[in-house]
Amino acid sequence: MSESTAPSGVTPGARPVNPLLADEPGARRLLLGNEAIVRGALEAGVNLVACYPGTPSSEVPDTFRRIGGGGRYRLEYSVNEKVAMEVGAGSALAGAMTLVTMKHVGVNVAADPLLTMTYTGLPGGLVLLSADDPGCHASQNEQDNRTYARFAGMPCFEPATAQEAKDMTRDALLLARELEQPVLLRTTTRVNHLRGAVEFGPLGQPAPIVPFERNPRRFVPVPAVARVRHAELVRHLGVAREKAEHSPWNTVRGDGRFGVIASGISRAYLSDALHETGWGGRVKVLDLGMTWPLPEELLTDFLSECDAVLVLEELEPLLENDVRALVQRRGLPVAVSGKGGALTIYGEYSTQSVTQALADLLGETARLPMACDPETALPVRPPNLCPGCSHRALYYAVRKVFGDDAVYSSDIGCYTLGLLPPLRMADFLFCMGSSVSAGSGFATASGKPTLAFIGDSTFFHSGITGLVNAVFNKHDLIVVVLDNGTTAMTGHQPNPGVIQDVLGNACVHLDIEAVVRGCGVADVVKVRPFNVKSTMKALAEMKERSGVRVIIAEEPCVLYARRTLKKPRNQVAYVAEQSPSVADCLEHLACPAFFRDDTGIHVDENLCGGCMVCLQVADTIKARKRSDA
Amino acid sequence: MSNAARIRIYLTGVGGQGTLTATTLLARTALDQGLEVTSGEIHGMAQRGGVVESTILLGGWMSPKIGHGEADLILGFEPLETLRGMTHLAAGGSVLSNTEPLPPVGVSTGREAYPDMARIRAKVEGCAAHSWFLPCRTLGLQAGSVQAGNSVLLGAACATGLLPFGPDALEAAIRTHLAPKLMDMNLRAVELGVRAVTSAS
Ligand code: SF4
Ligand code: SF4
Repeated sequence: MSESTAPSGVTPGARPVNPLLADEPGARRLLLGNEAIVRGALEAGVNLVACYPGTPSSEVPDTFRRIGGGGRYRLEYSVNEKVAMEVGAGSALAGAMTLVTMKHVGVNVAADPLLTMTYTGLPGGLVLLSADDPGCHASQNEQDNRTYARFAGMPCFEPATAQEAKDMTRDALLLARELEQPVLLRTTTRVNHLRGAVEFGPLGQPAPIVPFERNPRRFVPVPAVARVRHAELVRHLGVAREKAEHSPWNTVRGDGRFGVIASGISRAYLSDALHETGWGGRVKVLDLGMTWPLPEELLTDFLSECDAVLVLEELEPLLENDVRALVQRRGLPVAVSGKGGALTIYGEYSTQSVTQALADLLGETARLPMACDPETALPVRPPNLCPGCSHRALYYAVRKVFGDDAVYSSDIGCYTLGLLPPLRMADFLFCMGSSVSAGSGFATASGKPTLAFIGDSTFFHSGITGLVNAVFNKHDLIVVVLDNGTTAMTGHQPNPGVIQDVLGNACVHLDIEAVVRGCGVADVVKVRPFNVKSTMKALAEMKERSGVRVIIAEEPCVLYARRTLKKPRNQVAYVAEQSPSVADCLEHLACPAFFRDDTGIHVDENLCGGCMVCLQVADTIKARKRSDA
Repeated sequence: MSNAARIRIYLTGVGGQGTLTATTLLARTALDQGLEVTSGEIHGMAQRGGVVESTILLGGWMSPKIGHGEADLILGFEPLETLRGMTHLAAGGSVLSNTEPLPPVGVSTGREAYPDMARIRAKVEGCAAHSWFLPCRTLGLQAGSVQAGNSVLLGAACATGLLPFGPDALEAAIRTHLAPKLMDMNLRAVELGVRAVTSAS
């Protein structure tokens, strides 16, 4: 099943405008949280979008790309988050209303420019979307980026529904332009990936460009300027605090001496818990949607009317600590509770954990639903490299040549999945680009042969700096650039190395080999991983040399080749005869297209990616034409 | 807008099966019927063959999440995942499941054993008030493609009477939201699902 892009009621074939671009105020559509963010940005009149893709943020730029926009905005896939942030800052300085999108860990990369652009301010208005991932659904950590609102000094919005995702994005952009200050739109995976009805507002025209006025005493933060600007930032936050006091996103409902202060997706769990338990009439709720700066007067009024309050927020107890400080500062006779018990600092909240916390607050017993017992010892279904993935072929060759003698420094992408047995091609990993530099450090301290695996998109993101460093500091390291021509992990967004010109003429292909040589690496070899023998030969030769060596393993991602480049592989493998080499192939290559039954080991033709690597591993596996080809 | 029934539906399957597209179709069906809908999906690195879970909550829920013991209805697009997902079923809840396995890699390589259908049925029948099992892949192929198997399951779910709308609403949504070239096949699939449920009861 694939969906048509035709909106309801429009005859397909007439090339209708995408519903997200239609000016139909009052229309109600089912949108993904991330699509709602796009609509909100369009309603505000966004002029420029810069991003680095990363789950759970990726559908925002991908939607902007898919709908085209008809000239309403410019979209850029930047090479990393710092660059996206800086492109966005420059754009907003030049007066464009700007949205910059990334996942939570990307904000760490972008933090340097971010923490100074709040000093200078940005006249066109800039909103940073930080898509956090409590529960680590697709991330290496679950850091709480509300911290950045406090750290950098940014007003912060936290939607909990698709409708709010749209409306708060719009309001955040409008506020950013009004205050001339960067604003944080902080979401979490549940919000980015929920779907709900969204009622559209008017579309309007793209925002007018605010003319740039040279003012080095504002925009060039040398120390003398920076000192003054920091004071300015504090003043701006005072203005923003006033906005938060009266924001329609911060509301009080209900009655009683028990209060609950909730933010983000916790508000959804609270709402459902109150409905389920019927305790709605016994608590007073302060919903915080604009969560920074804190509306202290609103909070004080709320706290003064309560004997006890419960603070609901996933991850760090930021709000809770602020509330405790406020209670102390104002001498309010109210008991504050928050983290503890079911409400953990790690992981996500749920309707049940919130129900438990409500029960504790009210002195009730929570009646949690009965569930049937979990089944034990079920076969797991871990994510795996696709059948025919070139990374598997390369990893197979590396394991044959280096085995357990070498140490494998991994990076972020599909290829991280090589950590699973039998390939076991990841010994450590920190963040985007760390394979090269952490690999350098590890090799120096351990004296062990070290291989760093890095994908093409990650190489451009932050592998190049590590490579220059390795050359300059004379490290001893083999860097394997897994060049599959796309950003496979997050859904095939373009990067500077893309094979296909997806963005039209604006997109330029950069040659990885030329970049590597330009960084000063003399020992560079290109291999095609689907040719196992020659790949192993190149690896074996490199093993004998020292210094910074780079192997570029070039092979398009099979999924990308099939879906985007429309290059299906018409040959499939089949087991012509059962033999020890077939068993060996299953054990060491472990392509998921293989299966075992009573009659032996076979290849599932529907799954086979046609890489022909198994033919080179087992002599009784042969190729034939796909039966439907 | 009707808030008559508050129903939580938990859907589970395997990356690549198209369960998220099916989830969106069912959510749109509900919205087209004027119901309040919240839907969610979790698919960390699922493109690479992992488990894909999604949810549809009808009748005014704000959270898109369904915890243990909370689902009024489970739609299992793959039998092993139906079994794994059973902890989500609420007391008195019902289950519809595909019966045709997609073996995970540990099973295909012979390291792990796939639970047999009898065990899956016994568990489901032990926990659920009502349950239906359908060979979705086979019926999908009968309708025109393996992917249409998802519409078989949706059609069956609409025919159980457990949802606040019937198969006609799903058919209308298919006509509205699916590309014309996929329409007939999916309509046939819905019909096969409906027939499987009505002939079983
Ligand atoms: S999406 Fe592409 S790169 Fe990722 S595992 Fe599949 S084939 Fe490999
Ligand atoms: S079965 Fe062989 S040819 Fe097919 S994808 Fe797997 S390794 Fe490649």
